[in-house]
Amino acid sequence: MNPQLKGMEEIEGTYAFDIRTSNKALKLNRFFWNMIRAEWRDRYKADPEAVMQEAGLNDTEKNLVRTEDWLGLVQYGACFFVIEKFARVVRKTNLEVYAMMRGETFEQFMATRRVPESR
Amino acid sequence: MAKIIGSIGTSHVPTIGVAYDKGRQADPAWAPLFDGYKPVAQWLAEKKPDALVFFYNDHATTFFFDMYPTFALGVGERFPVADEGAGLRPLPHIKGNVDLQCHIAESLVNDEFDLTIFQEKPIDHGCASPLPLLWPHDPDWPGALVPIAINVLQYPLPTAKRCYKLGQAVRRAVESYPEDLKVVIVGTGGLSHQIHGERTGFNNEEWDHEFLRLLQFEPEKLTELTHADFVRRGGAESVEQIMWLAMRGAMPEKIRRLHLNYYLATTTAMTLALYEEGEEPAQAAAATASRVPDNATA
Repeated sequence: MNPQLKGMEEIEGTYAFDIRTSNKALKLNRFFWNMIRAEWRDRYKADPEAVMQEAGLNDTEKNLVRTEDWLGLVQYGACFFVIEKFARVVRKTNLEVYAMMRGETFEQFMATRRVPESR
Repeated sequence: MAKIIGSIGTSHVPTIGVAYDKGRQADPAWAPLFDGYKPVAQWLAEKKPDALVFFYNDHATTFFFDMYPTFALGVGERFPVADEGAGLRPLPHIKGNVDLQCHIAESLVNDEFDLTIFQEKPIDHGCASPLPLLWPHDPDWPGALVPIAINVLQYPLPTAKRCYKLGQAVRRAVESYPEDLKVVIVGTGGLSHQIHGERTGFNNEEWDHEFLRLLQFEPEKLTELTHADFVRRGGAESVEQIMWLAMRGAMPEKIRRLHLNYYLATTTAMTLALYEEGEEPAQAAAATASRVPDNATA
């Protein structure tokens, strides 16, 4: 146990991305990371199943990607900072992803914000 | 000899870059953010630093988790601004100063900070989000960057204390550089925010202002906090505020704040602070804890 993370498990709705998680979800995170390359993005858009296969994703991972299950991805072990690269490819803004992780519609989420017109 | 003339703390929210590129500087939702940068841009224009040492984090762009450095320093005359999934931004490549970067790297390693060195790599919004708000870039940047990336993504992260000590070592490195350069230290990230899990959208304005007070007057207290403490108080991703501690470590004991802009619009308390060496008037210091933040939206 990393002493710097003592008490983290008591913080609800929070998933510490550590090297154990990273090791388990490395292929999934690499698949998302590759979205910074235009060539990978284009190939994914043309044939998502083939690119997921090439990336070595298992069935659980493929399904999380297919359904764009943002909260499920985080709970599985995806790092938000590579997820957001994938969000750009499937034309979702970060604010839209935040709303879905909270289980809210976009408008519901924005209504909780200080400056809802900031989007 | 080179000299540190001041320091800046700034958020590095990626949407700042998006709003900047879309020309939303005068948009009522964004003006409180962009206007807040003008006094700091003005200060930089007047002081004309030769280099900015940027404590920032890579967002799994330049580096991937198959080899993720704890501390990494960039060496090169140029660094492209990274494509992070949405294409390239209309910004000139970030400028470097190889001699200064190499000196700082040598000094840090000899001071027991065993850094990774990266070269010819693109740099993401960790630097590129705030940089154009601080420095003009048409046709080119007025000075060089010394990018120092800190792992705040994949635990174990360096401790708050380690980051503070890194800042102290950077001060020794800058002050031992033989050329008479003017250097500004920039710490990026924060303040309170959480952008993953059901707790997404968490903020804590009271803690944000307490953090700013401690950073200025009692930074050692912040070095005693664990990562879990930062996560609990400011949200999961606010742990990146350990990079402000690196900036603070590079500054002398007494600093005064010349400017503060605090704007919490959606999910991140976007904050900008400018510091110089010197004594804060006692009254101002006492008032800091309870002051109403500049540009805060109630």
